[in-house]
Amino acid sequence: MNNLDIISVNIWQIALSLINLVILFLILKKLLFKPVKKIIAEREKEIMAEYDKASATNAEAEELKASWEEKMSGAQARADEIIQDAVDKADRRNEVMLYETREKAEAIIKKAKADADRDLRDAQESIRQEIISVSTALSEKIIGREINMDDHRDLIDSFIDNMGDE
Amino acid sequence: MSIVFLILSVLPIIAGILIKVLFVPAADGIDITGAHVFFTIDLPLGGLPITEAQVNSWLVILSIMFFCLFLTHGLKTKNISNKQVIVEFLVEKVDGLIKANMGEYFMGFAPFIAAILSLSALSSLMSLFGLFPPTSDINIVGGWAILVFILITYYKMKCGPLIYAKSFGDPVPFLAPLNIISEVATPISMAFRHYGNVLSGSIISMLIAVALANLSNLVFGWIPGFVGDIPFFRMGIPAVLSIYFDLFSGCLQAFIFAMLTMLYVAGGFPQDEYMRRKAARKAAREKASAESVAADAAEA
Repeated sequence: MNNLDIISVNIWQIALSLINLVILFLILKKLLFKPVKKIIAEREKEIMAEYDKASATNAEAEELKASWEEKMSGAQARADEIIQDAVDKADRRNEVMLYETREKAEAIIKKAKADADRDLRDAQESIRQEIISVSTALSEKIIGREINMDDHRDLIDSFIDNMGDE
Repeated sequence: MSIVFLILSVLPIIAGILIKVLFVPAADGIDITGAHVFFTIDLPLGGLPITEAQVNSWLVILSIMFFCLFLTHGLKTKNISNKQVIVEFLVEKVDGLIKANMGEYFMGFAPFIAAILSLSALSSLMSLFGLFPPTSDINIVGGWAILVFILITYYKMKCGPLIYAKSFGDPVPFLAPLNIISEVATPISMAFRHYGNVLSGSIISMLIAVALANLSNLVFGWIPGFVGDIPFFRMGIPAVLSIYFDLFSGCLQAFIFAMLTMLYVAGGFPQDEYMRRKAARKAAREKASAESVAADAAEA
């Protein structure tokens, strides 16, 4: 007989088919489910890593932004301060310079006044000497005799002083 | 490289056809028998006949194995190919089926259910190639059903044999014999349902084919020459029947077998009781370890 009967139970065949199913189970587990699960888990991990990276970068960017903003506002304040300082300094220097200039000018004016006074006095003196000598000479000529310079000095001086006052 | 695996996964089917052509004598007329026996290995209890059914189921397993290698070859995490979309869809689908029907605890069953589904469906679909479908052999399906029965019993016994024995006296003790019968009936009914559907499908197909040939002979037999011998009625009509008996019935029976496996295994497992015991054991262990730590501390 070459064919089995339509219903023929054989314990070995049953065991064999049972083992076949177990083998197929192992094959599917090792060759299909394991690699696919692995790749899915890997992808999930990668995506999670990407998410983490993105959120970390985001946080970093936020932090940077905040610090820059802080720095910017600080820089603005600092710039204002610097400008204010510079303005103050310039003002102060300006004042100092003005003061010095004024002092110098006053000194110059004073000196000029003093010079002028001295010149005037010198001129008065020389004029007086001149007048004294001229008047002496004239008086000598007129009176005809020599005038004692020392005798007449007081007289002449008072005359000249009166003349200078007029 | 992956195309090699694809070719290798088709080769077993071609090999099956070749084996059938070379070694199985053609049957003439209505000849409803079981699988062809190639040779018998001498073993006690009747010996092990290596039959067409066994060979074909090995071929199916080989084919599935190479197809798995083809599918999982070159998996990537980025820029995935269509092939990978399909294989991930398949795996997630089976996982979803397990999760929906059995719960999280049984996720390890996914490859087993996938094995039942693919082996059963492809075995039934062997008849499309004119090969003997292994599922129409009671021994093949019986082996699967017994494996499922072992699993059911294993999970029922997870809380100890006492609870398992007690479950037979439910709801009233004198129903115990009936419960035992229904327990034993589970694998038998599973095996016979699957086997009977596939076998009856091929028997009906064959009967109808022969009947159509005779009808054709009756109607067109008077035409002289070879034209009268052409069985016109056998064109087309058996193909439609084949769609039902081979394609639809084969896939449906595979699905039913897998579904019943899931329901029986998950349904027989007293999960609440098991979880409670597990939690109690864990608590006891923790308590013991805490006590030992306290004792050590006291000693120190």
